[in-house]
Amino acid sequence: MQKGFTLWFTGLSGAGKTTLAHMVEAELRRRGCKVEVLDGDVIRTNLSKGLGFSKEDRDTNIRRIGFVCHLLSRNGVVAIAAAISPYRAVRDEVRAQIGDFVEVYVRCPLEVAAARDVKGLYAKAMAGEIPAFTGVSDPYEEPLNPEILVDTSVQTKEESFKVIMLRLEELGYVPKAEAEVYSEDEEEEVKRRLEELGYL
Amino acid sequence: MGLLDFFKKAKTERKVVLIGLDGTPYTLLKQYIEDGTMPNLARITNDCLLKQMDVSIPEVSSTSWTCFYTGCNPAQHGIFGFLDLQPNSYKIYFPNSRNVKMPALWDIVGNSGKRSVVINVPQTYPAKQTNGVLISGFVATDIKKATYPAELLPTLSELGYRLDPDAARARESKEAFIEDILDVFEKRRRTILHLFEHEKWSLFIGTVTETDRLHHFMWDAAVDPNHKYHDAFKEFYRRVDKLLGEVYERLDTSTTFMMCSDHGFTKIEQQVYLNYWLKSNGYLSFTSDTPKSIEEIGSNSRAFALDPTRIYINLKGKYPQGTVSTGEYERLRSEIADGLLSLEHNGQRILQRVFMKEEIFRGPLLEQAPDLVVLSNYGYDMKGATNKQVLMDTELFTGMHTQDDAHLLIGRRGTARPSIERKPHICDIAPTILKELDIAVPPDMVGRALV
Ligand SMILES: Nc1ncnc2c1ncn2[C@@H]1O[C@H](COP(=O)(O)OP(=O)(O)OP(=O)(O)O)[C@@H](O)[C@H]1O
Ligand SMILES: [Mg+2]
Repeated sequence: MQKGFTLWFTGLSGAGKTTLAHMVEAELRRRGCKVEVLDGDVIRTNLSKGLGFSKEDRDTNIRRIGFVCHLLSRNGVVAIAAAISPYRAVRDEVRAQIGDFVEVYVRCPLEVAAARDVKGLYAKAMAGEIPAFTGVSDPYEEPLNPEILVDTSVQTKEESFKVIMLRLEELGYVPKAEAEVYSEDEEEEVKRRLEELGYL
Repeated sequence: MGLLDFFKKAKTERKVVLIGLDGTPYTLLKQYIEDGTMPNLARITNDCLLKQMDVSIPEVSSTSWTCFYTGCNPAQHGIFGFLDLQPNSYKIYFPNSRNVKMPALWDIVGNSGKRSVVINVPQTYPAKQTNGVLISGFVATDIKKATYPAELLPTLSELGYRLDPDAARARESKEAFIEDILDVFEKRRRTILHLFEHEKWSLFIGTVTETDRLHHFMWDAAVDPNHKYHDAFKEFYRRVDKLLGEVYERLDTSTTFMMCSDHGFTKIEQQVYLNYWLKSNGYLSFTSDTPKSIEEIGSNSRAFALDPTRIYINLKGKYPQGTVSTGEYERLRSEIADGLLSLEHNGQRILQRVFMKEEIFRGPLLEQAPDLVVLSNYGYDMKGATNKQVLMDTELFTGMHTQDDAHLLIGRRGTARPSIERKPHICDIAPTILKELDIAVPPDMVGRALV
């Protein structure tokens, strides 16, 4: 059975956590892994509904996500968390609980994230309309020793994705891509031979 | 340990030789023993027991041979046919040796320090590293990727080794096809005998797949004594018999000799197209009139089939255009099963049984398994083609696979013939071989040692 683990994306809003989480999800599925994505935005509509953005509520949110990741990972699922998770202490707490934990720091300078402003939140935060907005009016504590670091201000999302996949292979968490088993020509030949025997 | 003991021990090191004959039925071998076509085999059965054997379902070489070399159920090893769908998609892929999720027999043998020679077993391409020698079988396309270790390549090229006959020839001329089959077989034979002599091994597996090719296109010649190619068909088996004799005479009493096939064969009455049936009964639609594959599945489809006998329910969440909820699943499955079971042709039922996946598959990959698998009556060859506009027809093929008429032979030269009460199953072979080699059988093998 595929070994489960938790892939934990952390970084500022707009850094690229959700984008990369779903790219990795699709690829791991293709390679035969069971995968579940726990996205901060989604979790706050159900599992953490009603929680706010105080330090205490943020920590509770992360502990809940971490707990579910723990249950999934130990049952052979790759649990992918994509939440800002700004506080180092609670990330490390979750890491200790799960064991098979791979932290991806999705680094992106505030200016770049704010310029992207995917959800229009930075504009509001800077206008003072959102209190305690990470990076603007609330702290973000960078990981000191993440297993994987991508910098989305200088990489394309495909490049960042590749860095993550290669590192996961290197760490032995995911099977290598099977791309080169059959070249395109060979695949055509396999098809032809199966067709000749009436198998398609 | 005294010197004498040492020699005694060295002398009695247990070995196993297995000759695989792809698609050769038990009943055909029986007939050829009786009518004198296979005199060597007749002699071998003085020491060895020849039995009819069941194989896994679906009765197709990729699945069967993987059961053979893992001793495991398809829901453990993951090979349900020659093609499968990529996760969460209708895109086809061709499972290869790296998709096999359980260890191969020769790897288990290798882990106990013993060498194996493995020639032409289907579903072993590309060749993976092992303790010994491995030449991949069907669907191997590139001899370089089919050979481990690479140092063997010059020898194979000297021997003229060929991976497979060209089945396309059967469409041009039967004579050319037979000639090609004989050529490939002769080179296979030479290679088997060469590696038998020149390699060190505890386990030797040499598989002949030309049998299956011949059967697909010329089974009519096998069963009709007046057929133009009846003698040509028998002549091929005389050559197979000669090879069996050549191998057997090289064996001593400490070597177990085995033979097996991965399914039997019988004559085709009609090819039956499952996707056409699903389509005409409102379970399946396509986005074009002549779809090339399941990739062209239409929205609102509730089920589809993959070759040869696999039916999948188009579940929500499992497939991109899934339409069936888990609540509807059971009802739909039984409805399809009932519909299929009532299929008739000339007053005879086409299907023997329709299995629910959990009746035949057991293992962690159950979710990937087909939801239903049909087992037809002799004569009705189920197909997964998507482009057919009729339920049944016939094509060039005259032979089809059978599930309950494969063969197994086991014994040792010059010793009493073993007796086996129950009907063997193909999954029993791997544990039997391990036991003969005094190697512990891994607990997840579902087969049980026969002797
Ligand atoms: N290398 C990169 N990796 C990921 N995203 C990138 C990269 N370069 C540019 N982008 C873009 O950055 C944006 C990141 O948005 P995304 O929703 O993934 O951020 P997020 O980290 O999930 O934010 P939030 O915490 O608010 O959910 C996307 O529009 C994406 O296309
Ligand atoms: Mg996000």
